[in-house]
Amino acid sequence: MRFARRFFSRPTALIGFALFAAIALVALLAPVIFARGPFSIVGMPLLPPGAPGLLAGSDVLGRDMAVGLAYGARISLLVGIASTLFAVGIGVLLGAVAGYYGGLVDDLLMRVTEFFQIIPSFVLLMVLVAFLQPSLGSTVIGIALVTWPQVARVVRGEFLSLRNREFVQAARTLGESDARIIFTQILPNALPPIVVVSSMMVGSAILTESALSFLGLGDPNLLSWGSMIGGARSAMWVAWWTTVLPGLSIMVTVLALNFIGDGLNDALNPRRRG
Amino acid sequence: MSLVSTRDLTVTLPPDTDRAHAVDGVSLEIAKNEIVCIVGESGSGKSITAHAVMGLLPRGVRATGGEILFDGVDLLKEAPDAMRKRRGRDIAMIFQDPMAALNPVVAIGKQVTEQIRAHCAVTERVALAQAADLLGQMGLKDASGLLKAYPHQLSGGQRQRVMIAMALSLLPRLLIADEPTTALDVTTQAQILKLIKRIQAEREMSVLFITHDFGVVADIADRVAVMRHGRVLESGATAQVLREPAHSYTRALIAAVPSGDNLLAPLPDAAPLMAVTGLTKRFRRGGFFARNAVTAVDNVSLTLKRGETLGIVGESGSGKSTLARCVIRLLDPEEGEILFDGADIAHLSPRGLKPLRRRIQMVFQDPFSSLNPRQTVADIITAGPRAHGESAKAALARAADILRLVGLNPETMHRLPHEFSGGQRQRIGLARALMLKPDILIADEPVSALDVTVQAQVLKLLDDVRRQMNLAMLFITHDMRVAAQVCHRVMVMRHGQVVEAGPTRDVFAAPSSDYTRALLAAIPGRGTL
Repeated sequence: MRFARRFFSRPTALIGFALFAAIALVALLAPVIFARGPFSIVGMPLLPPGAPGLLAGSDVLGRDMAVGLAYGARISLLVGIASTLFAVGIGVLLGAVAGYYGGLVDDLLMRVTEFFQIIPSFVLLMVLVAFLQPSLGSTVIGIALVTWPQVARVVRGEFLSLRNREFVQAARTLGESDARIIFTQILPNALPPIVVVSSMMVGSAILTESALSFLGLGDPNLLSWGSMIGGARSAMWVAWWTTVLPGLSIMVTVLALNFIGDGLNDALNPRRRG
Repeated sequence: MSLVSTRDLTVTLPPDTDRAHAVDGVSLEIAKNEIVCIVGESGSGKSITAHAVMGLLPRGVRATGGEILFDGVDLLKEAPDAMRKRRGRDIAMIFQDPMAALNPVVAIGKQVTEQIRAHCAVTERVALAQAADLLGQMGLKDASGLLKAYPHQLSGGQRQRVMIAMALSLLPRLLIADEPTTALDVTTQAQILKLIKRIQAEREMSVLFITHDFGVVADIADRVAVMRHGRVLESGATAQVLREPAHSYTRALIAAVPSGDNLLAPLPDAAPLMAVTGLTKRFRRGGFFARNAVTAVDNVSLTLKRGETLGIVGESGSGKSTLARCVIRLLDPEEGEILFDGADIAHLSPRGLKPLRRRIQMVFQDPFSSLNPRQTVADIITAGPRAHGESAKAALARAADILRLVGLNPETMHRLPHEFSGGQRQRIGLARALMLKPDILIADEPVSALDVTVQAQVLKLLDDVRRQMNLAMLFITHDMRVAAQVCHRVMVMRHGQVVEAGPTRDVFAAPSSDYTRALLAAIPGRGTL
């Protein structure tokens, strides 16, 4: 509970959390509020926000922008969270093994990590998604594959310093197995930076997904904020709301996640306590 | 006439700390041309008092009462700017850790001259010449070479000499030394103490020396003040206080300095439980193909009997900790054998080692990093039995007894390590080792991070436990005084090799090597206490 008090004592963390909670609520409730789905046409195209029954106006095909934004939040959050979970899974495993064992294992795993880091990640991602056929699954896997190296690096660094602590040596002299030492002794102590990095990664994954959808590499059967902007490119100059509203949604979501990340960093980092 | 006198100095801590005052009504006098020691344990306020005189209190900590008169001027009323000008020129300070006090990426010469040039208008060349001269006075050879070197290229003793040179560069009238020798080896400590005393006499300056060690007090101080909980309990001429301590706490502090009397007699001959022969451990420096290896442990042999404590004494870099870690197989030795109960364990695989793990256990040096901060005491001390297949319930049932044995209340076992003091944490570490009912206990500097009075308690506990459980103990220490207190036999190591080994009584009475003689001569307070 002291953790929660430290976290919420920062106004930006509180704002970030409130914004994120609101967006998540909208995403969860979208199918309940807007049962007809984001693709159904409800009126004339390019009606401005505030037109009768259209809170956020309509897009180039006459679909309700508000419904699109609500459904888009589902995709953005789903892709952001799922790809981050995958990336953290891979990164923690490889980083922990590299950092704990060191030596040849570390050299080998770090070369693999660097291989992923030296390739322009967005180009690699486009190739991956195009190769796997654009779909929700391929987007999640693609983003996870290009983002795990940063988790691996953070985890490896933590393990490198923690594995020489005396409590880890003590665990070895007690006869605990390597897996047990990695997961019960070292990992809990390495969690704070992992949590902080992950919260930031959700935001950047949302940005990446939007960019992919904008380029038409998103799931064609789902409406996301990126594909809404992409689809409205031609109407940008006559109907500002078609691009600005999904753009703002992306910005607010990523900002909220960054606020949360900063708040977590301060609340979890013992050096900044007190 | 005193140079510095504090009257009823009170230093207040921030509101959310466990005490209101770090320093509570302290009155001290430091005369011209004398060395005054403040001696006390951690939390006594000795360091805060020194920092208050320097005008460098940590953020949130403020001097709220009394006065600090320096040559008649109250330093607490000085403007920040005037105080800044006094620092270095009137009052200079040296610290415990010279590595942390020196900037690692700036050459020594630049750091020494910076101080000179900040206060005097001289050219770089003049300042460098002054710096070289100063380093020479500090007993440093090749001063011009040192000026070009970086801090990491110097030894601990050299770094502390550089720090003293920097402190003295502007001829201050008061030198404050905050535990300046605590991080150093004994022989280096003896040299630095001698240097401070010599410089003080030559320049007729005053020194305020902070220490926890009455041995150091006996060697260096003209007068001494004993502090506890922010108050001065007793002060007076050093000889007087040492001869007739008025306060019971002072008596306890003096008694806690291991005296070297009542040395343990060697045990009667018996078959060794462990016999190490020709053990060698090398560390490869640099990358995979690097050729130069450092031999940390070089052809070391030893034997250990049941119920016996063998002390391994050496300064930093002597290989004593590496030797311990090879014996318990945290490290893999290159050569030699470790016969334990008749079988060679020097080259066993991790799988083969597992059953042995419970028979050889270790207590570590650092009471803070040796316990996982995220596990409760119960989790920590039952981890060993659980790893060897004992049920959590059975282990927990035994845990209470073991905790009582090491002097802890079993009801506290569901707390986290940070709720315990250093001495208590060391007891938890010992309980963790004892839970496995080992035959051999390796203690790696188990008391070097503890206050002297706590040190004495933990040493007594280790000795009691050894007797009760008939343990064989390998006791690693840098401190001859500590070794004298608990060891039947000692082995002195230097540069990875055994310099001398024998029964403690013989080694202390008639050391056979020059190095052991130097170590014994360097013990602070030897002869006085």
